[in-house]
Amino acid sequence: MGIKSKAASVTFDHVTKIYGEHVTAVDDVSFVVEAGKLVTLLGPSGCGKTTTLRMIAGLEMANTGRVLIGDQDVTILPATDRDVSMVFQSYALFPHMTVGENVAYGLNVSGMAKDEAKSRAEDGLKLVGLSGYGARLPSELSGGQQQRVAVARALVLEPQVLLFDEPLSNLDAKLRRQVREEIRDIQKNLGLTAVYVTHDQEEALAVSDRIIVMNNAVIAQEGTPRDLYEKPADLFVADFIGDANLVDVQIKSVSGELAEVEMASLQLSLPHRGLKSGAAHAAIRPESFLVSTDQSSEGISGTIGKAVYLGNHMEYLITTDLGDLFVVASDVVNTISPQTGVKVTLASHGVTLVGN
Amino acid sequence: MNRTVLLWLVVGWIGVLILPWYVIEDGFWGLEWVLDGYPFDTDYGPTWAHLLEGEKVWLAPIPLFLLLPFLTGGRIKSDPLYSKILIVSGLGGLSYIVIQGFIVGIAGWEYTSLELLFGPLGQKQYGLGYGAILVSAAFLFFTTQGIAARGAVNGDVFVVSSIGFIVAIVGAFIFFPVSQILISALQDNEGVYSLGVFLEKFTDKKIWGLDCLYSTVGCGAAWNSLFLAITVGATTTALGLVFALVATRSGFKYRKVLRALTILPIITPPFVIGLSIILLFGLSGIMTQFFGDVFGIQPTRWVYGLPGIWIAQMLAYTPIAFLVMIGVVEGISPSMEEAAQTLRADRWKTFTTVSLPLMRPGLANAFLIGFIESMADFGNPLVLGGNFDVLSTEIFFAIVGAQNDQGMAAVLAFVLLCFTLTAFYAQRRWLGKKSYTTVTGKGDGGTHALLPNRLRWPIYTVAFSWTGFTIVVYCMILFGGFVNTWGLDHTFTFKHYITAFSVNWTDGGLQWTGAAWDSFWTTISIATISAPLTAAVGLLTAYILVRQTFTGKDLFEFGTMLSFAIPGTVIGVSYILAFNVPPIELTGTGAILVLCFVFRNMPVGVRAGVAAMSQLDKSLDEASLTLGANSWYTFRKIVLPLLRPAIIAALVYSFVRAMTAISAVIFLVSAEYDMATSYIIGRVENNDYGLAIAYCTVLIFVMLAAVLVFQGLVGERKMGRREPEKTITPASAKAI
Amino acid sequence: MRLSKLLLSTAIGTAIAFSFSVGESAAKGKVNLYCSAQEDWCQLMAKGFEKASGIKVNMTRRSSGETFAKIKAEARNPKGDVWWGGTGDPHLQAAEEGLSTPYTSPNQAQLQGWAVAQSDSAGGKTIGIYSGALGYGYNEDILKKNNLPVPACWKDLLKPEYKGHVQMANPNSSGTAYTTLATMVQLFGEKEGFEYMKGLHKNINQYTKSGSAPIKAAARGENIIGIVFIHDAVKQAVKGFPIKSVAPCEGTGFEIGSMSLIKGGRNFDEAKKFYDWALTAETQSRALEVNAFQVPSNTGAKVSPKAPKLEEIKLIKYDFVKYGSSAERKRLLKKWDNEVKSLPK
Repeated sequence: MGIKSKAASVTFDHVTKIYGEHVTAVDDVSFVVEAGKLVTLLGPSGCGKTTTLRMIAGLEMANTGRVLIGDQDVTILPATDRDVSMVFQSYALFPHMTVGENVAYGLNVSGMAKDEAKSRAEDGLKLVGLSGYGARLPSELSGGQQQRVAVARALVLEPQVLLFDEPLSNLDAKLRRQVREEIRDIQKNLGLTAVYVTHDQEEALAVSDRIIVMNNAVIAQEGTPRDLYEKPADLFVADFIGDANLVDVQIKSVSGELAEVEMASLQLSLPHRGLKSGAAHAAIRPESFLVSTDQSSEGISGTIGKAVYLGNHMEYLITTDLGDLFVVASDVVNTISPQTGVKVTLASHGVTLVGN
Repeated sequence: MNRTVLLWLVVGWIGVLILPWYVIEDGFWGLEWVLDGYPFDTDYGPTWAHLLEGEKVWLAPIPLFLLLPFLTGGRIKSDPLYSKILIVSGLGGLSYIVIQGFIVGIAGWEYTSLELLFGPLGQKQYGLGYGAILVSAAFLFFTTQGIAARGAVNGDVFVVSSIGFIVAIVGAFIFFPVSQILISALQDNEGVYSLGVFLEKFTDKKIWGLDCLYSTVGCGAAWNSLFLAITVGATTTALGLVFALVATRSGFKYRKVLRALTILPIITPPFVIGLSIILLFGLSGIMTQFFGDVFGIQPTRWVYGLPGIWIAQMLAYTPIAFLVMIGVVEGISPSMEEAAQTLRADRWKTFTTVSLPLMRPGLANAFLIGFIESMADFGNPLVLGGNFDVLSTEIFFAIVGAQNDQGMAAVLAFVLLCFTLTAFYAQRRWLGKKSYTTVTGKGDGGTHALLPNRLRWPIYTVAFSWTGFTIVVYCMILFGGFVNTWGLDHTFTFKHYITAFSVNWTDGGLQWTGAAWDSFWTTISIATISAPLTAAVGLLTAYILVRQTFTGKDLFEFGTMLSFAIPGTVIGVSYILAFNVPPIELTGTGAILVLCFVFRNMPVGVRAGVAAMSQLDKSLDEASLTLGANSWYTFRKIVLPLLRPAIIAALVYSFVRAMTAISAVIFLVSAEYDMATSYIIGRVENNDYGLAIAYCTVLIFVMLAAVLVFQGLVGERKMGRREPEKTITPASAKAI
Repeated sequence: MRLSKLLLSTAIGTAIAFSFSVGESAAKGKVNLYCSAQEDWCQLMAKGFEKASGIKVNMTRRSSGETFAKIKAEARNPKGDVWWGGTGDPHLQAAEEGLSTPYTSPNQAQLQGWAVAQSDSAGGKTIGIYSGALGYGYNEDILKKNNLPVPACWKDLLKPEYKGHVQMANPNSSGTAYTTLATMVQLFGEKEGFEYMKGLHKNINQYTKSGSAPIKAAARGENIIGIVFIHDAVKQAVKGFPIKSVAPCEGTGFEIGSMSLIKGGRNFDEAKKFYDWALTAETQSRALEVNAFQVPSNTGAKVSPKAPKLEEIKLIKYDFVKYGSSAERKRLLKKWDNEVKSLPK
């Protein structure tokens, strides 16, 4: 029988959540998560992303505004009555139940016959690659396995929306990559609606259809991973996603789509993105720098501060007039040693104008 | 229509249409009323029968309130009218029942002003019966559903209903009776209210005197009680911790035996410990004689007073401290201790910086219980008090003694209440807002750190010597039941057991001829009924306190602790004052005993539950909720199984307390419902120790059996943690 | 629906708890007896009356103070019918507070003068059923072991060699001790009486809570001299403890164990029958079966040879009306608290 999907959209309509009297965790937030998509809520700690997720789950109630799942207004519906399931950061596996019982828990709650629930749970475990582990206690599994049990437990309910609260933060780097890909595969294959909370931008870029970046209780920017990476709306987003170098620039003139920009000694033409003449910033991706040891060539002069060999690429810290630049270079054969004078130019992509 | 509303409508209408509205003097379950003039007899009739005969017209609005919820049919929860209808029906109906109950009593109008206004009523009413109970319950739950529908506590019907239920019963069975007696603190002998009387009594030297600091005259009872309670609270907590550590963190082979021995004193009826301490350390005690003969130490009466009470209370309350501590000590996540060890902390450092601070909720709760128990203890100070006056005995004798001063008792009770509430408040401050969560949803397979060496030997020494002492005390008790006259004629005999528990096998079958059987069976059945009720109410309250936030939560918590902080004597008298007359007429029934036990012992269930539950990661509950389970299912399937140690503690404690409580029981027993302790106290008063002890011994074995049954029924909490001495099992090794 | 199941089961649980209501009534009626004598005596009275009359007796035993507190608390809806036994003061107190009801038994003519006097002083609301003289008892063995002289009078107890060897109850909590205090006041006059109590205070090792505790402590060797009712001392001696009882040479006070009908009791007729029956010589003679050594109030009742004989004891003319009244009692207790109890030893 296998797991099917009943994916539904999630809509936030001017939702505000205030804790106590003064702490505004989520401030007038609106967005739509389309059915069948994986949307990530990304942001630093305390930005309101987890509260947003918990409001979708029904674990917190909005003070004002409406929350809809599909067409249904669930604003004051408790968690129990929402067709949503959640994977917790701490896994929240019931320690006194076996893995099988954990996965079958939600099915039993919904009144499914014991045998059917059991076989569905087994299907769920198979889906996450844990067939045959049903009789174990959670404490007898490794962290990654426990996390996959938590995913299976949420999946077997075929929820309208599947929620992930920093599900990978307790795993090591390799497992993290592996599990996130599994999650993404399952989500895509089943066509699930998923909302995913993380503070790890790489993870967000890797798994999401769309990303909602939150900062200080409001949405900073919403878009596809490529949008966010290439067209950050502000300094915060640019900085938060992809370790951009932020440098001061002067917009000389604007004509058509393009703006003439002066960056130290360099003159550039960049899409103006609605900016007017005057002081502005440019976000430059670390991999968008071209570094040359030829002192006579064009470019901004600089000195290599640090050089780190990372196997498939190099990371340099270059001190220039623009400030310290964080640069990634793919050439791992001809590495440049620290204290070497260099000239830095920009590639044709990965440079974006950003307002203040 | 909402199914829950429908259910309570059915219940409510059964209450109105079928069951007798008033309490039936000869007992509802005798069912004699069915044949004896039902439904038109005034004593047995349901509401409509009374009204049809034109009697008790003031009952008429009740069915009207019960009609209202039909209007919710076809409306959805989020409709504002839905909640409004339910709240109006529920709150209105409930208040109406309460008000009419207090206005019309056994002699017509309860207030002379009403009689002047409306003339004599000419009719009377008795206590509320089953019909009224069902209708009231229906109204209560309409109210809570209405409130939940308005979105209170995330719209969780279970939680709102639980809060409503507990508030209602705590109000009816704690606040109502206690206020009845506390008000007499403000009354003089003629019943006139006066603050002067209160102040005069309150400032009495008997309460606050400090003479003991500079003379041989004793200090005031308040200071004595306070000092004793702090000492006992601290030492029982320390001992409880010691035993908990031995039970969980030592490689000691016979931990289980030690554990059983530790909780033995909890199941000891009052007086017995005190008496055996006298026989050991009294002026003519065995130990005193021994030291006198061997070391030439002049025998003194040192045991009478603070030292004696202290030893006896330590014996009596260490087990409770242990039961609270064990759950907490077990619950500490091994990985936190392992983390400390990997951070280069040695075992000692790990223990003092990680394990011990994480035990804070346990320590605080154990101390609080020890403190309150000591404050309210009555039996031990009575036997061993000497000239060391404490509040609980002073209260008892203010009521029953030659002075007959109920007002003084109320004042003393008020002082005692202030102390316990202060302790309660201090405990909360100390715990603060730190997180003590150690059971999380992450499977945790580590092992508990063993005790550091420099701690191990002191702990072993304390544990073993205390256990040894306990064994000696118990041997003395056992011995006392098998000799002719304890302390005088030590000829071996079975006569006490025969007098109390003989049975005859005749043609008619088994005959319980022993003198103690009646009270024995009553005691067992009342204890058996009240134990699970106590545990249920206590843990439900703990769940609400730990897991839910709502306005008035602090007051709610205070209310649930109140009955515990008040000495049994005061509770006993206040129950008679409150429940001897309508609307709730319970004196002379078994129910009053059950209720008294449930509400007196519930705080222990609450404390144990709170301590254990603050260790459970909240995301476990939330996971369950997001998986579609409602709060009730979550409570049952997730919270309760993880609270097994707390459940056992609550069950054992309430069962045992129901079997061993005295001070409240003395006032509440009746001819049909005589309790073992009241029988024993009669024997002790008569210097019939042999019989009293024989009875106690039997009770001890019954309680031991009950403890085992509870353990068996509830089972152990399994979380897959490894036992300290075991190596990694193949299964878990493979998994890692 | 699961929620409702919980609440329903809780409701059922409560319902079962409530179902313990008052039991069935026998064909010949019933009577609720509050008994304040020793347990086995109470049993005897209850079973004896059931057998004699066929009326079911629901007996509850409590000390007299407890029973008084209970009757007072139940005053608006009395659950008891008759109160039998226990020292006279709380019975008088009950009469004073209107908790009991007057009744003249046809058997009253057979009673001793002091029993009838008790009734007269309370307007017929209570009656004497037995009497016992105050005195003290000592543990013979320990007295000898400590080379102490044998005491015979009240004043003997003031001797410094008894320091730390005398026990009496606290008059605030015990009727026995209050009787002692009132006796001293009547025997020596109020000023002298309090001087006596002050002198005694120096020798007292403990004021116990309960009246008979001093002699029980003496019996077990925890104390040497206990000031109690003589019949309590005799009882310990009969049990085999080395206790000797003393009727002090100066004379002494006594208690009158009493019986009252509770006002508003639901089984008044049956209660009256019990009342009459309890005053008969035959009934009172049965006290011997349970080692109760008080002097019965019926002149025809048998007295144990072991019992202290009232005619051999110098009894004072104890003014039960005055010293039984709550005003006088409160005054004396207050005075005792302030002038005696607060003295250093």
